[in-house]
Amino acid sequence: MKNPTRLNIRRLKFAIIIVSLVVFFLFYKLAKIQLVEANDLKKQAMRQWTKSLEIEPLRGIIYDRNGKKLAINAPSYTVWAYIAEIENPQEVAEQLSPHLEISEEEILKLITTGTNMRKLKQSISLEQAEAIKSLGINGITITEGTKRYYPLNNLASYVLGFTDIDNNGQYGVEKSYNSYLKGTPGLWIKSTDAVNRQLPFDGEIIYDAQNGNNLILTIDENIQRFAEEAAYEALVNNDAKSVNVIVMDPMTGEILAMANKPDYNINSPRTPIDEQTKMDWANLDSEQLQNEWFKLWRNYSVNDLYEPGSTFKIITAAAAIEEGLVNQNTHFHCNGFYREIPNVTLRCAKWYDPHGDQDLYEAFANSCNIAFINMANMVGKETMLKYIKAFGFGELTEIDLIGEQRGIIPMQPKDISDVNLATISYGHSVAVTPIQMINALSAVANGGYLMTPHVVKTIIDEDGNIVKNNLPEIKRQVISQSTSKIMLEMLEKTVSEGTGTKSYIPGYRVGGKTGTAEKIIDGKYVQDKYISSFGGVAPVENPRIAVLFIVDEPSVTYYGGTVAGPYAKDIIEKTLEYLGVPKEMSEEEIEENTEELIMPDLVGLTLLEASKLLNELNIKYVLEYKNISQESIVSQQFPLAGQEIDTNTIVDLYFEESKP
Amino acid sequence: MKNKIQKHEPDFYILFSTIMLVFIGVVMVYSASSPKALADFGDPLHLFKRQFIWAIVGLSVMILLMNVDYRILKKNAGIIYLITILSGLLIFTPLGIELKGARRWINLGFTTFMPSDAIKLGSIIFFASFLENKKEKVSTFRNGLIPAFLIIGLSTGLVYLQKDLSTSATVAGTMISMYFIAGMPYYVIFISGLASVAFLRFAIFSEGNEYRLERVKAFRDPFADKLGDGYQIVQSLYALGSGGLFGVGLGKSKQKFFYIPEAYNDFIFSIIGEELGFVGTTFVIALFFIIIIRAFKVAINSQDRFAFFVASGIGFLVAIQSLMNIAVVTSSIPATGINLPFISSGGTSLIFYLASIGILLNISRYTIKDRSIKNEHNS
Repeated sequence: MKNPTRLNIRRLKFAIIIVSLVVFFLFYKLAKIQLVEANDLKKQAMRQWTKSLEIEPLRGIIYDRNGKKLAINAPSYTVWAYIAEIENPQEVAEQLSPHLEISEEEILKLITTGTNMRKLKQSISLEQAEAIKSLGINGITITEGTKRYYPLNNLASYVLGFTDIDNNGQYGVEKSYNSYLKGTPGLWIKSTDAVNRQLPFDGEIIYDAQNGNNLILTIDENIQRFAEEAAYEALVNNDAKSVNVIVMDPMTGEILAMANKPDYNINSPRTPIDEQTKMDWANLDSEQLQNEWFKLWRNYSVNDLYEPGSTFKIITAAAAIEEGLVNQNTHFHCNGFYREIPNVTLRCAKWYDPHGDQDLYEAFANSCNIAFINMANMVGKETMLKYIKAFGFGELTEIDLIGEQRGIIPMQPKDISDVNLATISYGHSVAVTPIQMINALSAVANGGYLMTPHVVKTIIDEDGNIVKNNLPEIKRQVISQSTSKIMLEMLEKTVSEGTGTKSYIPGYRVGGKTGTAEKIIDGKYVQDKYISSFGGVAPVENPRIAVLFIVDEPSVTYYGGTVAGPYAKDIIEKTLEYLGVPKEMSEEEIEENTEELIMPDLVGLTLLEASKLLNELNIKYVLEYKNISQESIVSQQFPLAGQEIDTNTIVDLYFEESKP
Repeated sequence: MKNKIQKHEPDFYILFSTIMLVFIGVVMVYSASSPKALADFGDPLHLFKRQFIWAIVGLSVMILLMNVDYRILKKNAGIIYLITILSGLLIFTPLGIELKGARRWINLGFTTFMPSDAIKLGSIIFFASFLENKKEKVSTFRNGLIPAFLIIGLSTGLVYLQKDLSTSATVAGTMISMYFIAGMPYYVIFISGLASVAFLRFAIFSEGNEYRLERVKAFRDPFADKLGDGYQIVQSLYALGSGGLFGVGLGKSKQKFFYIPEAYNDFIFSIIGEELGFVGTTFVIALFFIIIIRAFKVAINSQDRFAFFVASGIGFLVAIQSLMNIAVVTSSIPATGINLPFISSGGTSLIFYLASIGILLNISRYTIKDRSIKNEHNS
């Protein structure tokens, strides 16, 4: 056994020096990494640890003016595929195909290509989602989000509009108020491991999403229903191309109802509304189909132009009266034709049976073209154009809906020829939007103030605080109170005695004006294609509603009073009743309103049955008993069964006293 | 002077440092392995429990060997070497297990066993006895050089057959270092230097080993391909950098959540850096440095050449493997798979390293009190 030699020790010491140098070098490296470059490395590391996810805000709810929900958010489910985790794509595609309603080949393509995560289908139903979950396929997950749902389907579809699959407003207030409705997305920043699972610590920072603001519309669900029902009836009965209705509060400019028929279901805007449409669409290519959709989604009330016809006489009359050129005592003579302009003969609607002599009210009620040509001549081109513009034609009403049209009116007085002036007086040679027309009518009815029409009353935030209030906004005063009053009387006379009698409602004072115009297609008047309309206001003593009812291409008959009047009447009557406006019958109305009836036999019926029957016939009855119930049997009646009675009769009923 | 030296207390610094490292290892294996253990075994403690048991077994082996006279090892050096060589060959029997494309493990039924760890220690013991027996002849060509390189070649080759380049390098490095201090002729130093360069060139640039070239490129600029070849190194640097001076706190590493693959193994030092900071990494390196320096000191003060070679061999083994591991994670050398002694998870490695320290501690009980000082006086 020998001790280590000096050589051994020397060399070992040399090795120690080498080891020490290495250790020193490693210290240097560590100091460099952990002290000098630390911040930079940490920043890069943080970038890979943190993942941020957008938190979807809830879209604002849309209410009608009474708080009824018209647009809400429904849960919706999205199917995702994590491509790397799918073991057997063929099998997965087979399993998913029936649930997703996508062909196997398409699914196979989706789950075998692309990056690590793929959206397979958005907004599937809860049932579908649960069915897919129960398959328990690796790599297929379902996330919950929201999608827009309109509980009343096509009700007020043109006001509401709809959103795309990502909840961006596309039409209606969904679009025009999108910035209020959509809210602000939140951010969820979380620390994750290398396979995107959240870490158990330093977990997350959440910036909450700011949910969208809610809208309270000026639309009243009930009035909207009246309007839609009437529009649908008019569409069917007139076999028309389309029907458009606007109901407005003339005092405030608030739109109470706005409807088009045919319409579409905003829950599935691309699905044909009925069998006929389905058949019509079946053979279209995708571009044609898209055009059909765009046509269907247009809101006629603000997006389309029509020639107003005689309803425009309201403007001519208002201008003439306001200018002091005509009054109750002004007389007009109609011989059926107007021949003052060289080489042009204009004729009255009743040229075969001329109106003859008529005062202002009669001329208006008769809708006599000749009288209005004379009136327009009295007003003159410049003043006439001034009033047309003052009533808001040729400019935007600034209603809070998208795509509003300005309409077509002469630019300057010199653009108006003599013939133009004559035809403009009865609403030809101008093109207006329905919203312009009803807004002008409202101005005539409310004392002369042109309002800014609007469909949204108030914007409130999630907690109910008011964000914005759309208060009534007067644009300008167009005519005086007194002119407005005369106009209302004229309008009332038109309904009670003139062309608008089909809109007469006993008990309510309704004013209105009918209109009929031949349609212009490609710049030419087309015969046998008409636009018939009725613009009405009620009650005349204190206007609560203005209604414009437009029937496009009615096929049976075309006079506005017949085609549009009765349906407008329906809306007016139902709306005023709904608004609680009392009916005040004049003596003659009561008389006229009594109908001859035959007294029914009530003996043997229970009180409940008898009262039901009498209520149906609108007959009042009296009974003076203390101990009767609904089940008590009628023992005697006066008048007796079979006698002739009228609706003013009050029936006496006698009962068998119920036994104790 | 022979046998006159009184058996005394073992080297306290080595004992303390080793226990500290094992303790840090068990704690860090727990921290670094819990995400993986939870994901794979449903129990975040799974790998910790195993490591804890190995630590107990390993420390027991260390205490046992600390009390077994190392001269028994000298007498049985040949048999010990034979057994370890045979265990290495067992890999090629049906008992061998192939994992991740490499055959490095033997199935013992209740656990697996990595023969390369045994070969390291067996080679040191046998080579030490060889070097002692050859005495001054170690420097000769026929009696020294040839047999020495045959032994080195046998041990290294056996490990290399397991496709374990880094362990082969460790074994070769340790044995060549031992031969160096025994008196390797200078021309051999020069030639073997050239030979290593040639070998490395071959290992990196030869056909079929393109992955090694990629690793070298990744080492030059790991951020150039940080999702590909540079991935592990970049992740390791992220971990160390995020740790900064004081670390993010014990257990709070984010990189261990699957950003660093097998964070409890070859890259556990990065997690130490992330959780305990520069302070922690410095402390761990210091502990290794203490063991290495004290091992050399024990060697210098040992009373026979066998002890000298075994002690310095163990010092070289710890030095080469630990410093190589740290060099890899700090991107100081190209990435290679080698674990950190005493700390990385893994039973065989821990037990054999603790066995080595046990032998070292036993040798330290027979040292002359500070020969270095005496020698300095003499010289």
